[in-house]
Amino acid sequence: MPSHVSASSQPIIRFDHASFGFTGVIALKDLTLTIAAGEFVGVIGPNGSGKTTLCRAVLGLMAPVEGHLHIFDCACDELRCHHRAKIGYLPQKGVVDRNFPVTVLETVMMGRYGAMGLFRRPGTSDRAIAMESLAHVGMERHKDSALGHLSGGQQQRVFIARALAQQPQVLLLDEPTTGLDITTQHNVIELIEHLHQELGLTVLLVTHDINMIRTRVDRLVLLKTRLYAAGPPADVLKAEILREVYGKDLVITEKDLIIVEDYHHHHH
Amino acid sequence: MLDLLTYDFMQRSLLAAAMVGGLCSLVGVFVVLRGLAFVGAGTAHAAFAGVALAYLMGWPPLLLAILFGLVTVWISGWVEEKGTMKLDVSIGILYTTTMALAILFIGLMKTYNAEVYGYLFGNVLSVTPEELRIIGGLAIVVVGSIVLFSKELYFIAFDQEMAEASGVPARRIFFLLLTLVALTVVVSLKTVGAILVFAMVLIPASTAYQLTNSLSTLTWYSLMIGVVCSVSGVLLSAILDIPSGPAIVLLSTLVFFFSIILSPKRLRQPIPAH
Repeated sequence: MPSHVSASSQPIIRFDHASFGFTGVIALKDLTLTIAAGEFVGVIGPNGSGKTTLCRAVLGLMAPVEGHLHIFDCACDELRCHHRAKIGYLPQKGVVDRNFPVTVLETVMMGRYGAMGLFRRPGTSDRAIAMESLAHVGMERHKDSALGHLSGGQQQRVFIARALAQQPQVLLLDEPTTGLDITTQHNVIELIEHLHQELGLTVLLVTHDINMIRTRVDRLVLLKTRLYAAGPPADVLKAEILREVYGKDLVITEKDLIIVEDYHHHHH
Repeated sequence: MLDLLTYDFMQRSLLAAAMVGGLCSLVGVFVVLRGLAFVGAGTAHAAFAGVALAYLMGWPPLLLAILFGLVTVWISGWVEEKGTMKLDVSIGILYTTTMALAILFIGLMKTYNAEVYGYLFGNVLSVTPEELRIIGGLAIVVVGSIVLFSKELYFIAFDQEMAEASGVPARRIFFLLLTLVALTVVVSLKTVGAILVFAMVLIPASTAYQLTNSLSTLTWYSLMIGVVCSVSGVLLSAILDIPSGPAIVLLSTLVFFFSIILSPKRLRQPIPAH
């Protein structure tokens, strides 16, 4: 069940007529959107709709070319290290080299590095935080395993633990279930939902899998180079809106399953 | 063999080999993990071009080697960051251009200069006390920087964008790494030469890569392999009366092949999905 967000929740990410991209190529145009503390927000949209751009913007890797972006009440181009550490990020799978010689605990410890700052060595408290993060994702038994020896689902858990080790307020996940089998996909989504409720984390989940998240999120944000719709899933997932965004790639089954063709090909 | 060790020159060259071997293998860990092998090889040739120009103009060779080396790594890093050109192409061009410059500078010299060739092929047995002090000084700078920034260096080697996103000044650390690579190459130029220096950076770390799945263990293995191979190589070269550079590099290569054969990574299968 989606958790409820009280009206008094303070905004922590605020896009104000913000556009992102490079000169000539705007990936995301005139976005106005506020995300409040404690929300579970799903970000959906077709390929190339600006989902990854939204992630990069929230991470402070991209400043708006027009408009403003405020994160924790800090203008994005002034985003300082300690603010960045408050956003735990799970990058898209496949970015990381599977054979990289690193253990699970070493991977999770990296989550501490940004928050610690330069010149400081990780101490016992950092180690304790890393172990606690591993416990949250149920991977503490594997702390000395080689990352490359784990399954895809286990690796995702480890990377989520790395994000948690930053002790973030926001968890930003870019396609966390891509490339996993169906059972593992459900396990990972359930873990994210659990972390949202247990740790009170604001979650921003980018995905193409609408059915996977529609019953779990508080709000959906539908992008196609601009903001098409934002609101409770029932308001966003209307046939006419979806058809406008996805065009002929969209199939809605009798059981109300939403199937988007180009992703369908991706998976099977 | 033991009386060899009583000679001053032998003690100096063993010390130089140990320092250069240790330095190269330590920097090599990050070069191998971050995928900068080609960048470093190009740097060695650029540094040699600096040496050649220095001898032509009568300027201090070490200074020009550092200058040429730094400019090359920074250009390479900048090109990699921009991503507008494939890195192997841009480095290939830089690599051959600097080598062409080196050959040009040597050609412009009126007389044959054996010292220049010393930088190309290296000779650890001729290391002077002054050179030893310079190696020692730069080694302290490079090792000190690595110790000071080790956690950030590991992080950018693993995933630079992730490091940047979590608040590590990843770009600056990346350029620090490039600078350390250039300094290491220059320091090692006199002992193993421009052509072979990069083997000393790559081989120990690649050997260690075969043997472990932990970053910290990898670093210690690489350091040990680098120091032991360098020192043993110098001893072999003195005993067998063969050039020191090839002795070190071929010995390291031998160890590398053994590590591939014995690698637990080849024997262990990844755990199946779920």
